[in-house]
Amino acid sequence: MIALLAAVAVAIIWWGHRNADAERSYQARVMARAAEWTGVLINMNSDNVEASLERLRDGTVGELNTGFDASIAPYRDVVKTLKSSTTGQVESVSIEAIHNNLNIAAGQRPPSPPTLPPELSSRTDTVIVVATSVSENAGGKPTTVRWNLRLGVSDVDGKQMISLLESLK
Amino acid sequence: MRNRLRVLAFDVVAPLATIAGLLVIGVVLDWPRWWVAVCSMLCLLVAQVVVVNALGFRRDSVTMGTDDDEPRLRTAAAGITAATVVAAAAVGYTQWTLPDRAFNRDNTDVVRLATTVAEATATFTPADPTSSIDRAAALMVPETAAAFKAQFASSAADLAKRNVTATARTLSAGLEALGVSAASVAVVVRATQAEPGRQPSIAVLPIRIAATKQGDSWKVVDVSPISSR
Repeated sequence: MIALLAAVAVAIIWWGHRNADAERSYQARVMARAAEWTGVLINMNSDNVEASLERLRDGTVGELNTGFDASIAPYRDVVKTLKSSTTGQVESVSIEAIHNNLNIAAGQRPPSPPTLPPELSSRTDTVIVVATSVSENAGGKPTTVRWNLRLGVSDVDGKQMISLLESLK
Repeated sequence: MRNRLRVLAFDVVAPLATIAGLLVIGVVLDWPRWWVAVCSMLCLLVAQVVVVNALGFRRDSVTMGTDDDEPRLRTAAAGITAATVVAAAAVGYTQWTLPDRAFNRDNTDVVRLATTVAEATATFTPADPTSSIDRAAALMVPETAAAFKAQFASSAADLAKRNVTATARTLSAGLEALGVSAASVAVVVRATQAEPGRQPSIAVLPIRIAATKQGDSWKVVDVSPISSR
């Protein structure tokens, strides 16, 4: 009887630990995915802009994907006309634990975050990515751009896709 | 029918459960060399008992589970099995469940600590120039606190002279890495500096907070801006 109870306890402990382990490795995958996607975004040059945009779009899902062309078109034109050469570097990636929306007045309800329908994605994690990129325009001074991004990473059929892109400000 | 059940329980399931318990302990402990030795020895013993038991069955047509003259042997077998499985559960609980829980608790604690310190380092009130610095320093390890205070003494005097009020609020904070005794947290704060007669300036600052666990509580060892260039 005792052995039986203990065996059940072993099973529960085993299961709990496997879940905790799976959670940690999933979060690591989410962070790696966010870093990879941001790496493409901040290293866009005039000669690789089309390929980069293609890769960025393929990595997105939901509203971000459907509105991708419209939201990114002005950016593409700027990159193309400036003939800039940009090198970026991801400085920090972390799983968001606390978020305060400071852009709303007190008493106002925060807008509900755009979430994917549950049948499309089982879960969405938010990742904070801090990155810097240095652009050298033809004949101009190099400019440094600091990116403080908030990325939503959704699990779509076992693949991690970007479903939210926000700049923290 | 009753005999079959007894054979199943005492002669088949009991040794298997014992071996399984020993193997589980090995998996949980990640097979240290001493356990490999002890476990193989004990498993061999169990196997030996099973063989002896099988031979006894061929000779006398009676096994440990069905021998009515030896009830104490059965009690001992059941006791050993129970002890092994209970030991496996205990080892699993201390080696897996408790650390997993501690990890989640540390996660919340360290992020809360980091946001408090990050906000305090970017906050300044001319009327009470050292309050927020002291608040942040109280959450740091002594060496860091001393260096931090020395570093801010000069800029605090300057800010006080210009009557600047600085406030900071956390936009987002998240865990970069967390180990047993060390952690790194990224905090993005919005810092506002207001000076009489000027437009307040707003900046978004990403800050990295490194923390270490001292005893039961986390202390900050380093505060630095996130950016290498």
